[in-house]
Amino acid sequence: MAQDEGSSSVTSSPLQFFSLVSLSPNLGSPYPWLRELKSEERGLYLIHLLLSCANHVASGSLENANIALEQISDLASPEGDTMQRIAAYFTEALADRILKAWPGLHKALNSTRISPVSERIIVRKLFFDLCPFLKVAYLITNQAIIEAIEGEKMVHIIDLNSAEPAQWIALLQVLSARPEGPPHLRITGIHEQKEVLEQTALRLTEEAEKLDIPFQFNPVVSKLEHLDVESLRVKTGEALAISSVLQLHSLLASDEQIRKKSPSVNSVHLQRVLHMNQSSVGELLDKDLTNGYTRSPDSASSSPLSGTASPKIESFLTALWGLSPKIMLVTEQESNHNGSTLMDRLLEALYFYASLFDCLESTVSRASMDRMKVEKMLFGEEIKNIIACEGSERKERHEKLDKWIQRLDLAGFGRMPLSYYALLQAKRLLQSYNCDGYKIKEENGYLVICWQDRALFSVSAWKCSRFD
Amino acid sequence: MLELLFANLLDFCDRKCRKRDEPFLLLAEFTAFAVGFLFSQLGIPLIRLNLGDFVGFWLFENLVSSVFWRREQGLRPVDERRGETLDRILGGMPVELENTSAMTVSTVSGEASVSSSGNQAAPPPTTTMKKKRNLPGMPDPDAEVIALSPKTLMATNRFVCEICSKGFQRDQNLQLHRRGHNLPWKLRQRSSTDIRKRVYVCPEPSCVHNDPSRALGDLTGIKKHYCRKHGEKKWKCDKCSKKYAVQSDWKAHSKTCGTREYRCDCGTIFSRRDSFITHRAFCDALAEESAKAHTVRNSKSEDDPKRQIVVSSPPPSSTVVSAISPIQKTELPEKSSGIINHIPPSTCLNGSIGSGSSSSCSSSSSSSNGSTTTSVFASLFASSSAAGTLQSQTSTFSDLICAMARSERSTALATVSTAEPTSLCLSSNVGGSTIFNAAVGPERRHYAVPSSPAMSATALLQKAAQMGAAATNSSFLRGLGLTTSSSSSGQQDGLQWGSGRFESEPGSSGTTAGGGGLRLGLPSEGNPGLTELIMGPSSLFGPKPTTLDLLGLGIGGGGGAPTGGFSALITSIGGGGLDRTAPAATFGGGSSAGKTWGPEAAKERKPSSPALL
Repeated sequence: MAQDEGSSSVTSSPLQFFSLVSLSPNLGSPYPWLRELKSEERGLYLIHLLLSCANHVASGSLENANIALEQISDLASPEGDTMQRIAAYFTEALADRILKAWPGLHKALNSTRISPVSERIIVRKLFFDLCPFLKVAYLITNQAIIEAIEGEKMVHIIDLNSAEPAQWIALLQVLSARPEGPPHLRITGIHEQKEVLEQTALRLTEEAEKLDIPFQFNPVVSKLEHLDVESLRVKTGEALAISSVLQLHSLLASDEQIRKKSPSVNSVHLQRVLHMNQSSVGELLDKDLTNGYTRSPDSASSSPLSGTASPKIESFLTALWGLSPKIMLVTEQESNHNGSTLMDRLLEALYFYASLFDCLESTVSRASMDRMKVEKMLFGEEIKNIIACEGSERKERHEKLDKWIQRLDLAGFGRMPLSYYALLQAKRLLQSYNCDGYKIKEENGYLVICWQDRALFSVSAWKCSRFD
Repeated sequence: MLELLFANLLDFCDRKCRKRDEPFLLLAEFTAFAVGFLFSQLGIPLIRLNLGDFVGFWLFENLVSSVFWRREQGLRPVDERRGETLDRILGGMPVELENTSAMTVSTVSGEASVSSSGNQAAPPPTTTMKKKRNLPGMPDPDAEVIALSPKTLMATNRFVCEICSKGFQRDQNLQLHRRGHNLPWKLRQRSSTDIRKRVYVCPEPSCVHNDPSRALGDLTGIKKHYCRKHGEKKWKCDKCSKKYAVQSDWKAHSKTCGTREYRCDCGTIFSRRDSFITHRAFCDALAEESAKAHTVRNSKSEDDPKRQIVVSSPPPSSTVVSAISPIQKTELPEKSSGIINHIPPSTCLNGSIGSGSSSSCSSSSSSSNGSTTTSVFASLFASSSAAGTLQSQTSTFSDLICAMARSERSTALATVSTAEPTSLCLSSNVGGSTIFNAAVGPERRHYAVPSSPAMSATALLQKAAQMGAAATNSSFLRGLGLTTSSSSSGQQDGLQWGSGRFESEPGSSGTTAGGGGLRLGLPSEGNPGLTELIMGPSSLFGPKPTTLDLLGLGIGGGGGAPTGGFSALITSIGGGGLDRTAPAATFGGGSSAGKTWGPEAAKERKPSSPALL
């Protein structure tokens, strides 16, 4: 079988080029010509370097990966143009992945990092301010909730990540203007940090008092994966709404996958995949059947209708369904970053984050510290998680809406098209940004928020029963 | 009186039967005629006949609902005279035909005190008040007030046949149905003296119709009222998502929905005039402000391409925000979810600047495009100068613009490259780098001077993907039977750049440069939907080939996309990159030229081609 031969030549061909270049004189200050590249050429070159570097990392050839990384770091910069920035974060992620082969080293290097949770909250707030994506998601969510609870006297909202009170303040304001009068509102906020919940509770109760709405905040300190449904204290007779903004994907990681995969496993796998990609579709199917057993455990969740493969999300969704909510709103990243192989994930992530970086590039000045923070601490960390982590560590398992539809269907939820009015409001909000790049599309009752033509986030609404 | 009754009956039947949704009414119509005939011809009292009895009952209920139906629809009664008279008939009041206009100005007790037991209360002191319109729910004070539970009101079929479980809304209908089963059946006898007006109150305590003085006069009316105002809106219009609680309302809406539409210049469509007007006010204000922002931005951008200055320029968009909120608050108080009111002005500002600058870019680049179409060589030079101007732009480049600029340049490149690829590669290369050198100092880390041209990352990725797809003709293409001899492959690799940057060019020159029909993976290039096409998988459910494919990694999803090996991409970019970056190396073909990588690549290819599948 030509498998080994084929794949080795695949991975080594660019390598030849690099080793050759790196052998060229004065290794310390290499490649004067690199400096003279124009932005576009440099961008293309960076893409190429990134891909080959990822290839080396995946195949475990650390020497070559190291060379590629060195080259990239000469070109990439977190303060440069979009591609330079992206390359900087992707190389950091790739390096992190390599480093994980030495857990001690990795831990030692990361031992002084500040708590990622507080970091994330600040940075998500910045993202909320800089880009309209979260705002639009909140807006649509709120609108759908308001429509669903029209006329209800007792309303209970469960927020799966209660770090951002802005969404609920907006909702409170709308509810106070409701023609039939405000309902008794209870919001259950879930977050792993008590302080965050306390802050949210404070802001919300203040606002509710100002608006004279009977309000109660029910904090639940828990990680989403360890959530006890009983603690949500759902009562009969109240209209229940659930809001999940960019949360559910973290539950796709399942416990059995803790086992770290050695680079060699990956390399074999990658070689096979690369090899398969060159053959015809028919052959590929054949191979997939016969070689299916070699797929990595993670791959299950990315194959079609394998929502079954991740028991955690399944039981979680079923538990939510059991609460029989009137409506559940799900916002998720519209990209598949849960591929089985490193290359799959890297390529998808490259496209997805390229759009996000582009979006920042065209709306925020390059010198902005906030932008830098969002890029480094939000996007960069996500990229790092997608690229460097495996098993239960890998939380950023973004998947596309069609996968979520299958999963939610399976859990018993019925689709609930979002209203035209929600779309209209989202359009208005995006219009107010006065930037052509932001778009919103309606597809089969779901809304998709785009940058240019790239769909980035999806919002979908679900109800408890499939039938009326 | 009977004349009137019949006039209304016929009108009612006419109306109902035209709808054809209750076949039963056909029978009714017929019966009405028959009874009318009988009665008028023979003078037999209606009450004596069983059938007549039924019809009488039936008539009674439907006539009431007829009158109220018209009222609820906001229509005047068939004829003011007739309708009002009927009210009196049904209320058991003496009919005075000559006094027909009495009701319109008649005195109606505002607070009809009525007992729910049905006992008629003493007539209250009547206060004279002018009734302008037939306000729903100003019943006869003498009527019997009936309060039904929500459950009864919502029940569609209260009377169920024990044999076949068919449900009926009325007992009388069930009785008729029972007759079909040969079961004992009994229609309620109703003597003319027994006819007493009934009114119905809404069970919802907060509702105005909960008060007996505003009770509604018929059962159907109260049912619909309860459904509409306090029930769940189950019926949703597919077109505009408007929801209705009563099916007939929904039907009526469905017939007219979309027939009248109001279209704003911004492309939004409204079915209702009021929402359209609201939107217009909003939209106009927005357009005005954005135009202002535009001019500000353009004038500023002449002075200094850096952004900080722009940010500090008078903030036009903050006024946009303030323009939005009052509209939201006043026009759509109950629906607006409020987030829109909380846009921090700074973000908004950035947004407007972004669009402003990008549009200014587009205008300039398009103008340079216009000048580049004269001749091949002219366009070559013009394109490099266009690149120069682009460099002086701030930073945002929409993908399309780049594609346009590129395509111009690449046309030149490609057309020449068929003749002599080597020199062309060199010339464009040198030109590019000198411009860059002039713009940027030799400092290494400072590539990212804001004035340097930046293609968006997405565009770059697309380009890389396209090059990957185009590069499938390289000799690394195993498994597709497209291997070319190694002697020619070098040259083709050299051409990759030409073809790579050629993607937005539709014509035949692209094919000549790219070499063969290898570009079939990217059909219909050059149309505006280029990005759409390339970014196929990003759109939600599209069964388009994935980006992975385009990057040369994937599994050919769509028809005929050449699934080149990953290596093909790498070598092509690598080759291209090298070609760019090492201008000293000429490209006469794989064998002669590439000092650095040419031989290596050739070596690579040779062992691999026998290793085909």
